[in-house]
Amino acid sequence: MHEQDQMTPNERLQAFIKGEKMDRILAMPILVSISHRVAGITHREKRASAELQAQSQIDCYKRYGNDLMIIEYGLHGVGTALGSEMNDPEDSLPAIVNHVLQDLKDIDQLDFDKTKKENDPWFAKTLEACEICQEKMGQEIPTGVLITGPFTAVSSIYPTENLLRATRKDPASIHRLLRLCTDALKDIYKEYIQRGIIIVMCDPIASGTLLRKSQYIEFVKPYATELMNHIHELGGMCCYHICGNTTKIVMDMVDTGPDMLSIDNLVDLEYVKGQVGKRLPILGNVPPVDVLMLGSRSDIFESVKTCILKGKDSPKGYIIASGCDITQNVPVENIDYMMEAVRKYGRYPIDEALLNDPATNN
Amino acid sequence: MAKSKEELLQQLSDCVFEMEDENVADAANEYIDAGYEALDGVLKGLVDGMNRAGQMYEEEEYFVTDLLVCSDAMYNGLEVLKPHLPLDQDADAVNYKCVIGVVEGDTHDIGKNLVRIMLETAGFEVYDLGRDVPLISFVEKAKEVDAQLICLSTLMTTTMPGMKEVVEMLEKEELKDKVKVMIGGGPISQAYCDQINADGYAVNAIGAVTLAKELVGMA
Ligand code: B12
Repeated sequence: MHEQDQMTPNERLQAFIKGEKMDRILAMPILVSISHRVAGITHREKRASAELQAQSQIDCYKRYGNDLMIIEYGLHGVGTALGSEMNDPEDSLPAIVNHVLQDLKDIDQLDFDKTKKENDPWFAKTLEACEICQEKMGQEIPTGVLITGPFTAVSSIYPTENLLRATRKDPASIHRLLRLCTDALKDIYKEYIQRGIIIVMCDPIASGTLLRKSQYIEFVKPYATELMNHIHELGGMCCYHICGNTTKIVMDMVDTGPDMLSIDNLVDLEYVKGQVGKRLPILGNVPPVDVLMLGSRSDIFESVKTCILKGKDSPKGYIIASGCDITQNVPVENIDYMMEAVRKYGRYPIDEALLNDPATNN
Repeated sequence: MAKSKEELLQQLSDCVFEMEDENVADAANEYIDAGYEALDGVLKGLVDGMNRAGQMYEEEEYFVTDLLVCSDAMYNGLEVLKPHLPLDQDADAVNYKCVIGVVEGDTHDIGKNLVRIMLETAGFEVYDLGRDVPLISFVEKAKEVDAQLICLSTLMTTTMPGMKEVVEMLEKEELKDKVKVMIGGGPISQAYCDQINADGYAVNAIGAVTLAKELVGMA
């Protein structure tokens, strides 16, 4: 447990769920892409080994005392299992260079058995990393998995731009792919849930920046809803995140039935609280780039303060988080500052005077 | 009764604007069979439709998906009209060439592709290097094809410095006056453009076209 906290993340989360007293507000900065920096290894070293993936998360927790460790299945896992090729950069996030499906006529040739843990070494590795986290730290802190939602899974199989075109030109084929991906994801999610892992479902390609609301409702909502139901049938828990501006689709996102909603910094926390705060806890949304990467210590304090001011009275509860995954170019000290600010402004009982005083940023 | 030229041009424009990428070839053939000039068909028909689509995108009526399908329609129509364009057309007209790509380290390419489409619509000969492009390639390609313009795109703060490097490479090779550099993407701003001594910044694909024309002196 972090020396300045009075409760472990597990105790805090339990208290949050039951509406009992907590020492401070929950804080779940998305420390995925930055975690190898905290551990002092390269990105390639981290992704090559279950031990190092787990250790990077444990190192983050030991340093920051954040409330959720997150193992990365990632956004491309379904595609790469099926045969999409990725590049292999030494020290940055890999990207897909060749999608396995180039023509929608070839959907039948995809072999979704390849996405099973027995056949996909990446999937197996991340499960092992989850087991290590649970074994070493499970008594103290929950572990989640950052994992693709249905629409982004399709984009790991079929090039994004063609996928976007096909939503207009060949919706039937896209629905077939979504069907196949949703079924595959059910089996994948199940393995994590059986290990007690929280599903952090991310679907950036379903972003309001790329799809209009009617397309979200047609191509994403039904499949996401099905996955949420599945997660709940298995006794699991889901935090739902879509990058970019989701202002127009927050209601629909919440209709799918997640347990928590995580919002990007492009969306106003106050607005989201008004729209859906009565229905579920909200996570957000310290800007990862403008504040965490480029900001000063006092900018970070200011941003944390603003988030807490906006979020603290959300009816179903508020958890402070980053608006999106934190990139490896964020100075690792800046997360110290974020947590320091959380412990200052987010300590219960909340000190309203401190929170409303403009001159307390350091 | 046979349709007038204006009607047929309107039909071409509408095919693009209304995303009828399958009917546009028929419309283009009808236009050619009626004996009208191919060049007008391109500029006052297809390109007009694409510009209207771009306008709607700017007004947030059209989304990325819509623009992509509109551009498919435009290209389908172009395929029919191109063989009928007068051959001597290019003889003394200036060919505006531009090299475009997403800078090294960044793989976000949807925005860049929209910019490319709109530049092609405006009549630029565009060389698209793709995404995650090694910085030196921009300069090499520009030299190879004798381009007047380099367009750099990035959506990530971490890869922004690559834009500065490209500008510096051009300066070092004393090409900076000959080749203009236009930049854009989420985190880019006019202030950053000034700071790295690039020639221009535009906030979206429509602005990119106006700016590109200005930079190369296209009428
Ligand atoms: C879709 C998306 C993805 C897709 C990309 C698919 C693809 N083929 O492009 C995927 C899921 C793969 C992806 C991956 C990542 N992403 Co991403 N992604 C997005 C998202 C949601 C939308 C981007 C988009 O396509 N917009 C639509 C297009 C049409 O808009 P646009 O690109 O801005 O282009 C317009 C203008 O900018 C302009 N323009 C563009 N280029 C140019 C060039 C010139 C010359 C001119 C004049 C104008 C111009 O015209 C365009 C049309 O009008 C944004 C969120 C956001 N707020 O933008 C994040 C975002 C861009 N991603 C981000 C990040 C961090 C990543 C990752 C690193 C993930 C991570 N957390 O670690 C990886 C990157 C891997 C890599 N090395 O490249 C961050 C970038 C933060 C930053 N500023 O540094 C963003 C902002 C999300 C966030 N809130 O943090 N992403």
